[in-house]
Order: sequence, then C-alpha cells, then structure tokens
Amino acid sequence: MDRETLLTQWAELREVEIFLYREAELADTHQYQEWFKLFTEDLLYWVPSNSDASEVGKQIALINDNRPELDERLFRLGTKHAHAQSPKSRLSRVVTNIVLGEDWQGAVGGTVSSRVLVTEVRKGKTLHLAGRVVHVLARQNGALRMKEKRVYLAANDEVLPNLTFII
Amino acid sequence: MNQTAVTWSQPTPSRSAIESLVQEGRVHSRVYTDQAIFDLELERIFHTAWVYIGHDSELPKIGDYQTRQMGRTPVVMVRGKDKQVRVLINRCRHRGATVVETECGNTKLLRCWYHGWVYELDGSLREVPEPGGYGPDFKCEKMGLSQVPRVASHRGFIFASLQPEGESLTEFLGGAAEQFDMLVNASPTGEIFLDAGVNKTEYRGNWKLVGMDGYHPNFVHASVVAGWARNSESGIGAMHREDPFSDAALTLTRDLGHGHAMLDFRAQRLKSYSKHADFLAKVPGGVQYVEDMHKAYGKSQAELLLSLSGDPHLGVFPNLQLIGNQVRIIVPVAPGVTQVLMFMVRLGGVSDEINTMRVRQHESFYGPAGSGSPDDAEIFERVQTGMQAEFNPWIEISRGMHREYTDTDGSVVGRITDEVPQRGQMKHWLHLMTQAT
Repeated sequence: MDRETLLTQWAELREVEIFLYREAELADTHQYQEWFKLFTEDLLYWVPSNSDASEVGKQIALINDNRPELDERLFRLGTKHAHAQSPKSRLSRVVTNIVLGEDWQGAVGGTVSSRVLVTEVRKGKTLHLAGRVVHVLARQNGALRMKEKRVYLAANDEVLPNLTFII
Repeated sequence: MNQTAVTWSQPTPSRSAIESLVQEGRVHSRVYTDQAIFDLELERIFHTAWVYIGHDSELPKIGDYQTRQMGRTPVVMVRGKDKQVRVLINRCRHRGATVVETECGNTKLLRCWYHGWVYELDGSLREVPEPGGYGPDFKCEKMGLSQVPRVASHRGFIFASLQPEGESLTEFLGGAAEQFDMLVNASPTGEIFLDAGVNKTEYRGNWKLVGMDGYHPNFVHASVVAGWARNSESGIGAMHREDPFSDAALTLTRDLGHGHAMLDFRAQRLKSYSKHADFLAKVPGGVQYVEDMHKAYGKSQAELLLSLSGDPHLGVFPNLQLIGNQVRIIVPVAPGVTQVLMFMVRLGGVSDEINTMRVRQHESFYGPAGSGSPDDAEIFERVQTGMQAEFNPWIEISRGMHREYTDTDGSVVGRITDEVPQRGQMKHWLHLMTQAT
C-alpha cells in the first residue's frame, strides 16, 4: 500500500476504531439496548463452537442470533431473573489489530477484522477470552452500523463456563 | 514372585456410614460434597457399572476415534478394520502415556510417541522399536492396549463396563430401553447422527445435581418463561406448550428403576399435536416430515413421536441424558466440579431446514451462552455452596411421596413437580455404593 492510500485510509480506520471502541464499551457496561441499536435491521451475531470453520445453522454455535433472537437474548438479560447474570459479570475488553478488509469502501462499509481480549470477573473467578472478531459494517444515514458480528474464540472447542454476557 | 499387585485404597466410608446418608425422603449433603464419597463413586459406579461412551454415528469410518472418560480412566472408542467399535484404555502398556492425544479424528494406527510403540486399531501391539531389548518372554500379543471388558450397544448408543462380569446391558437399561425409540424414531428412517457439534460446559457443583427435575423451570428459567409470553414458539418454547410444569398438567415424573428417570411429557405434548404439526408445516420440508413419519410409524405413533420432537427427557444413570435435541454426557471431575457434554442430534430422513430449526432451538436454550443451561449451572453452584453447611445438613427430596404410585410397567410415577426422579436416583446410588466389593 502506498503512503498516500495509507493516509487516506487512516481517517477511515480511525472512524472504524471509534465505532468498535464504543461497541466494546456498551458491551462491557451491559447497556444492552444501546448496543442493540448499533446493528442494522437485518443482522447476524454469531459465535461458533468447536471450530472456526463450522457452518451457521449446520453445526451448533455458542451464539447464533438473528434480530428476533438477539432481541429475545437482550430482553431476557434485562429481566430480573437471568440468574447467571445475577450478579452481573464485570467485563473489561481490549480491542486491537484492527484491519479494514479488501472489500472496504468508506461510503458503503465492508469487513473489518480485529482481535479482542475479554476479561470477565464474576463470583471469585477471572476468565480471559481471546478471539478474532469479524465485523461486517454498513454505512446507514452517514453512520456505521453492524450487519454482522462474528467472534471466533480461541477457546471455542474447550470446556467453557457461563458465557451469558455480550462477547 | 507375586504376579498381581496388592490393591489398596484410602480408608473408605463403611457400609453403615453410607447407608446413614440416604434416608426416607432426605439425603445428607455429604453425598454431594465429600471427597471420600466421590472417590468411592468413581470406583463403585463409574469403574463398575455400565456407562455411556458414545454413539455409533460418531465413528462413521474405519479408523475414526473419539476419546472419552470412564471415571478416572481415559478411554478411546475406535472403529477397527473389521468395522467393530472397541473401547480401549488409552494408556500405553509400556510406560503409561496416553496413546491417543487428540479428542477425535481418524488414524490408521495408534502410536505412542514416548518410545514409539505402535498398536493396531483393535488395540493389538504391532511393533516396538528395538525389539531385541526384550527377552524371550516378551510377547507382543500379550501387550496390546487393554480392552474395556464389556462393550454393548442399544440403538447405536454404545455403553461399556470396566467390570468383567455383571448384569447385561438389557438388564441394566430395563424400562429405559424403549425410551431411546422416542429419540431415534423422531427420524422417519430411524437414523440419528451426532455430527452437528458439541457444547462442552462445566459448573462448580456435584455431578448428581444435573438430574430430572420438573419443579424448577418456572423459577430457574423464569426469564425464559417470560420470553415465551412474548413469543410462545421462540426457542424451545415450541416444545413446551400450555405450562407443562404445573401440577395441573398431564406431565409426569417417572422412576424407571436402576436410577433411570424421566420427565414424561408424552400425554401433555400429544394434547398439543395439531399446534405442533402447524409449527412444523411452517418449516420447509415440514409437511413432508409429518407425512413420512405417518408412513413409517402409523398415525398414533407418528403423532406421539412428532409431539415429543425427539425429546424423551430421559436420564440413564449415571452419565447419559436424552434431552431436547441433544445427547448429554455427564463427566464427574471432582465432588464440586462437573462437565456436561451436549451433542447435537441431527435427524436422518428430514430436510436440512428441519435440522437447522432444531439446531436453533438448541442454541437458544443450551450451551454456555444459551438462555437455559447457564442458569441451571448457576443454581447448581449455589446449591454446592449452600451444601457446605453441615448444620442441618439434610436435603429434602420427599415431595410427592404421599401421592406417587406404581404403574403397570413397574415404574414409579408422580406429578411433574414431584421428586420421584431424585428418590429413584438416590435409591440406586445407595445400592451401587453399598455393593459388596
């Protein structure tokens, strides 16, 4: 990539970065409905299980939500009786290695990959979840929105404890 | 020279001590918290009785293998060149290393990478490096991987027992055997495949806490039930119509003997058959599925099987459960640590869309990020913490004792909220734990 393209893309990368940091902040602080607003109408929130190569709908995923399913997940977490989030997990995540995909077009959006390290602390136990994240972002009315969020956890084939927070 | 080592173990709780822990309608919390009891469970239950290993469909090809655990014993289930499935102890006969390191895969030979001993798929020892180092008494044919002495299967479900002699698998399964049909025959071709992934979960609680309980859903799963008020067919809501968890429901608890127990949804779900058929009709291939089931099993059986959705809700003591769209293995790790492996069941002879719908039902409720299982695990952890109190150490499991009855098939029946399964489980637990050894 020549220096000029790099500098042009830097502004777009910065915009994406700010978006991803905001998404991370809303997830960490359990602001479910605000986080939900970052998605487009048609959405996929997918965290595969067992293998990064597993297929949506063919193999079970840890999370495989379309809009109604994600709406239900967040509704449930918002009730007083989601016991596995009572008390709530304390979360702190680091988002890094952000790379705009080859399909990226500033005016339209595209694929963004990043790495995440989520630290969860709950009831005397600390859990670190690392993974690769692929966002498909779309520009709507000038703002970036998530069409897809796919999280490929390094531990997705391991024995896993309670993961009832936003990953 | 003595040929066999003298076995020894820590002082174990006496028969009378164990018997004192299980009383009429109540159980001492030490049954769930005590290390000596746990060690004895591994010995007298997991290293003795029939335990579930895996399903035939997990090994479609020669050389396919899956590693599993029988108590503390690592085993590997492998399909040999003769197509037979064997359960071998995953421990090199030389210096004790596990021979199979990956959880599953396909191989031509089983090779220990410590000193290069190589075994055939049937466990026999093929070769050792530098064989001249052994004397004339060393015979390869005597040094194969140890075979788990008894292996038998029922409708593709493979069980094994480390005890060379004992009751047959048929005797062991007893009345639970026919309930496997409720799962396998949810396929019009009578075929199921455990090849659509597995959730591996862990909670900090005793392995016996994950039982058959019809009293908890409205409380542990209150948040899910609240969701069904918004959409009655979302997730596994399509399976649980018209509050099956109230005493007014036709749902029953059933103790099938041998510690096997079920939540018997048959009559309750059959009542809503037409709603369920309508639900299936909305899925591509659903109408065909209903038709094929009628052709395969006849009207009344097809309606029952379709209503149940392949969910006998059966617990086979000690380590197998057929629940929802999954087959579960319960793995005891420590008195207060348990793993639950949930294998998604794919039905043969149905459209991809029907299976995808079933995958989504599973994903919504089960697994570490589902809406149901983590709340169960959370409650089990609270129970494990609470049970550390030995001031008033009794766990109450008397619910429904005054109204349970024995059915014509010999099973003990209670209402859905009754603790019939817990009593059945503890009765058999006591039997196994106090067997003469």
